[in-house]
Amino acid sequence: MVAEKKLFIDALKKKFKEDPTEKQTRFYIYDGWKQSARKREFVEWAQKLAKERGIPGYNPEMHLGGIPVGQRVLMPYKISGTDVYVEGDDLHYINNAAMQQMWDDIRRTVIVGLDAPHALLEKRLGKEVTPETINQYLEVVNHALPGGAVVQEHMVEIHPALVADSYVKVFTGNDELADQIDKRFLIDINKQFPPEQAEALKKAIGKSLYQVTRVPIIVGRAADGGTISRWSAMQISMAMIASYKLMAGEAAIAEFAYAAKHAEVIQMATLTPWRRARGPNEPGGLAFGYLADIVQTSRKYPDDPVKVALETLAAGSVIYDQLWFGIYMSGGVGFTQYATAVYTDDILDDFCYYIADYVKKKYGGFAKAPRTMDTVLDVATEATLYGLEQYERFPALMETHFGGSQRASVLAAASGVGTAIATGDAQAGVNGWYLSMILHKEHMGRLGFYGYDQQDQLGMTNSFSYRSDEGLPLELRGVNYPNYAMNVGHSGEYAGIVAGAHAACKHAWCVNPIVKVAFADPSLKFDWTEPRKMFAKGALREFFPDGERDAVIPPH
Amino acid sequence: MSEIKVKGGKYKPAYPGQSIVAENRRKYLDPGYELKKLRSISDEDVVRLLGHRVPGEAYKSVHPPLEELGEPACPIRELVEPTPGAKAGDRIRYIQFTDSVYFAPLAPYVRSWMAFWRYRGVDPGTLSGRAPLEMRERDLELVAKELLETEVFDPARVGVRGATVHGHSLRLDENGMMFDALRRYTFDKKTGEVVYVKDQVGVPLDTPVRVGKPLPEEQLKKMTTIYRVDGVSTRDDPELLNWVKRIHLLRTLAGFRLEKAEKL
Repeated sequence: MVAEKKLFIDALKKKFKEDPTEKQTRFYIYDGWKQSARKREFVEWAQKLAKERGIPGYNPEMHLGGIPVGQRVLMPYKISGTDVYVEGDDLHYINNAAMQQMWDDIRRTVIVGLDAPHALLEKRLGKEVTPETINQYLEVVNHALPGGAVVQEHMVEIHPALVADSYVKVFTGNDELADQIDKRFLIDINKQFPPEQAEALKKAIGKSLYQVTRVPIIVGRAADGGTISRWSAMQISMAMIASYKLMAGEAAIAEFAYAAKHAEVIQMATLTPWRRARGPNEPGGLAFGYLADIVQTSRKYPDDPVKVALETLAAGSVIYDQLWFGIYMSGGVGFTQYATAVYTDDILDDFCYYIADYVKKKYGGFAKAPRTMDTVLDVATEATLYGLEQYERFPALMETHFGGSQRASVLAAASGVGTAIATGDAQAGVNGWYLSMILHKEHMGRLGFYGYDQQDQLGMTNSFSYRSDEGLPLELRGVNYPNYAMNVGHSGEYAGIVAGAHAACKHAWCVNPIVKVAFADPSLKFDWTEPRKMFAKGALREFFPDGERDAVIPPH
Repeated sequence: MSEIKVKGGKYKPAYPGQSIVAENRRKYLDPGYELKKLRSISDEDVVRLLGHRVPGEAYKSVHPPLEELGEPACPIRELVEPTPGAKAGDRIRYIQFTDSVYFAPLAPYVRSWMAFWRYRGVDPGTLSGRAPLEMRERDLELVAKELLETEVFDPARVGVRGATVHGHSLRLDENGMMFDALRRYTFDKKTGEVVYVKDQVGVPLDTPVRVGKPLPEEQLKKMTTIYRVDGVSTRDDPELLNWVKRIHLLRTLAGFRLEKAEKL
């Protein structure tokens, strides 16, 4: 009966025909890849393509010299927090349009403040800036940003259908100004956030006016994230010239360009160093705290810090593990298996809600436990041992997470999230992560693969260090932080720990209120309040992405 | 073999814990403890299973014997007696094990620690589902024989797998055997023995290699170095649990508040 209460039981029953507590099963009887509808579809397509192009391609019989995958059950996966079951293949980044949309939405975004250009217009050029002129500017820039010409005659322009995803919106903490902004261009803080969060955000943002520019997705794909602020700056400057009737070339224009390119720009991600060189707005420079702000679950579920952590964690696993490590830094198909462990089959959900209950009972609520090492030792130990016991009581669960690094990630994530929501402190959370790792190692006598757990045996030493060259608050670390730059199965979880800590404190944002508001945007196709539902839609092929090229290619 | 083994001394492995699991870890790590021999596998069969050379074939070398090489003056070289394989210039080759989570005698970390404590000239690797051990070829064959013939091996719960190692965490088959996608071994129902029909990387063997009968689970539970809730739980071994917490606390404070760590 106890088993029936576990959140992961439904998924285990769907994945395997035996009782999840059974230790024995049968192998080698499943007809290999043919048991999978998705792989059968792949083979069918591959055979068709081989005929068309004259070059053979995908052929699962090539696997291990004729021993195809599928010597055991090729299990389906339940997307956690949903009722949707999918095949593992549907969760590879390349096979999932929603995952690609998620990253495209980050990469194509920069936030550009309007205060400096407005001061320049008023003080230096003697122009009047009013809500009316701002609305006029917004109409112009929404023509220019996607690829419309505004100043010169006889210009080539971009087909609007190719760049239908591109637009500019603004937001401010000043209700009076917000009221006068054309609603088509406004991210309305009062409408998008619960009242307490809205008040906190408006106070932090103040009277400043920020524009969120969504550069066409196809631009980011054609170049890279580094171009986004350049494209945005070019079109913003041109729109300013057109809107305020400026001389195109006077010295003041250089200052507009400087403001739009640098001074007022908030990039979503920073540059990475030479050996992993990428421009800004690429995943290697996306801080965990920024991602925790980009994910919007906290405004929809303000009383459920576990849900906030889990949704952020899932988004992070896709961006950091599947995309950054799995595609940018490595390539191929291996990384998906690591990343999906934290957002499938309700396993991490079960572990996290268990430890959240433990925290509530023992410490009287979230963010109420003393911020001490005793709390870390207590909560992380309980989360780790509980999770290990589940893997051992339910062999089907152990088989689901058949890799040690999957189990290590999931247990350490539960420990980190549990400690973070107990204390309301992300640093305590990540310290709990590290305790989980060494406890797990001594318990099972195994952990992850060669490089996976190396960082986990020394990370506790810098988990409370902020000084340069010694550490950094977890909120500002990212996959380019020295110890985190090398392997899979950690970074999404760290973003989840950050999100959980701040959600437990009922903070309206984690690091940057401006980033938080920029993604509270109902015009985005990817619903940032529910990343896991979006992945499920992508897996079911029900997600229609932006940035397609249909307008300029033959009908198909 | 004596030139490869570390000699047991007064210093014993100080692994914490009061349970049988902790006791087994200390025992297997201790070079002064003689591993119990449970089965016999011929030298030729060990060579077949490894798949690096055919039985009787000369060892390939990567450099001339050290005696002919004329080594430079070096105090470390004077201190450390080379193993026979190193002296001869053998290639470095491997054996790789997969240990089931279901009460296999060893787990990857314990396997690596054991290799460091007991043998000279080893390069063990530690992953969750496999544990490679690299050595000079003739040294490796001797160590592999000991690892296969003694209590640290079980034919059903330990696999010799060079590649496609997947299986350590999967449920067991109807004969209690660990999953192996390459089906390197079969269970002979007539004799109750496990028979390798492929070498460790999956190349079919002309002559199958018998590695003996699987041990009963109750016996494995007494031999294992793995904590499990249905065996010995870490919760039941507070000495180990508290030691891990102490290590964590010391490492944390040493990087943050060294003066506090020094007082612990």
